[in-house]
Amino acid sequence: MSILVIAEHDGAALKSSTPHAVTAAGRLGGDVHVLVAGHDAQGAAQAAAGLAGVAKVLLADAPHLAAPTAENVAAVALALLPGAYTHVVAPATGYGKNIAPRIAAKLDVAQVSDVTAIEAPDTFVRPIYAGNAFATVQSKDPVKVLTIRTTAFDSAGAGGSAPVEAVTAAPDTGLSTVTGQEIVKSDRPELASARIVISGGRGLASGENFRMLEALADKLKAAIGASRAAVDAGYVPNDYQVGQTGKIVAPDLYIAIGISGAIQHLAGMKDSKVIVAINKDPEAPIFQIADYGLVGDLFELVPQLTAELG
Amino acid sequence: MLAALLDWPQAAFASKVEIAGGAATVKREVDGGLETVQMKLPAVVTTDLRLNEPRYATLPNIMKAKKKPLATTTPAALGVDVAPRLVTLRVVEPPKRKGGGKVADVKELVAKLRNEAKVIS
Repeated sequence: MSILVIAEHDGAALKSSTPHAVTAAGRLGGDVHVLVAGHDAQGAAQAAAGLAGVAKVLLADAPHLAAPTAENVAAVALALLPGAYTHVVAPATGYGKNIAPRIAAKLDVAQVSDVTAIEAPDTFVRPIYAGNAFATVQSKDPVKVLTIRTTAFDSAGAGGSAPVEAVTAAPDTGLSTVTGQEIVKSDRPELASARIVISGGRGLASGENFRMLEALADKLKAAIGASRAAVDAGYVPNDYQVGQTGKIVAPDLYIAIGISGAIQHLAGMKDSKVIVAINKDPEAPIFQIADYGLVGDLFELVPQLTAELG
Repeated sequence: MLAALLDWPQAAFASKVEIAGGAATVKREVDGGLETVQMKLPAVVTTDLRLNEPRYATLPNIMKAKKKPLATTTPAALGVDVAPRLVTLRVVEPPKRKGGGKVADVKELVAKLRNEAKVIS
């Protein structure tokens, strides 16, 4: 039994989601192979080879994989799969969610999405109804295609020394090409994997006021998130969104500022270890799940908090 | 999935779509920013919240819609197998958080985070 993990990487290095996917793949019991599809991606392949629990790294290197599209990465994976693998594992991030369904559809199997626990090689736990219930499902397909929730599995540590094997990259499908990327550069930690997350909501009233959170985030070395209300109001870009339709986070400390706590937002952060809520409405639902609630005007309390931590 | 079955290109989470000369240029949301993808048509595009304003049904149209014919078909007639491949073994409620704790001021909050929860230094 072998498991193919689709690595998320930028060529030089692995994205933080990949080691989580390797851990999940390890739980299935079997040889874990990691597919690195890219161009000049030796760095990422070596990083994958160094992860504990990896048996082999498959490196598909071709110019058309430099900015990998779902079409081309799926084609590479599909060329490797027949007869060789029982499982395909991808992280449930924007990258993995773009590719895995394409592979599942081609194999004519039912994908199991956002897996939070693995009970047996064919039995998985996944959230349904926005995380208000967890369903244990058994897959009867010959190949299981899974996307895994990265916050539910630990990151695989170092200590592996797997061989890197070059594999033929499937030819360019020519269906689509990436012509540009606008990735926001930030010195802050990645939202999905940060140890501390500070999120702002509609209570902040404007995009400028998010600067106030930045000062606090700098002190705590935290990532900044937002509720859907703040994103919809245009205060911050879309990828800040924490919640059912945004990012799922589970940091050690989550500070919700000016967020009332709609169920869709809670779905994205209620697995955080410690939750702090600052809101002027004492009846806000966020206080029901917060470990430490602070009722008051955030425009006074946040600067106080920043000063207190200084 | 639909795109794969048809062998068409795909663009998920589109925030902007432009069609020109038999190709589509789509801006899509990715982790940490935007990505522009050029693809051949036909293609499958899934939309992001901010692509456009939905077209709401007006009352006169709802009335008209009631008179329109509604074709009914069955999976068998279309030649597809809808037998589920996944069996749901059980459904459980997630563990409840027992929040509700309140603190009086910022000083107490910081003290508790430092000494009780030990999440900041």
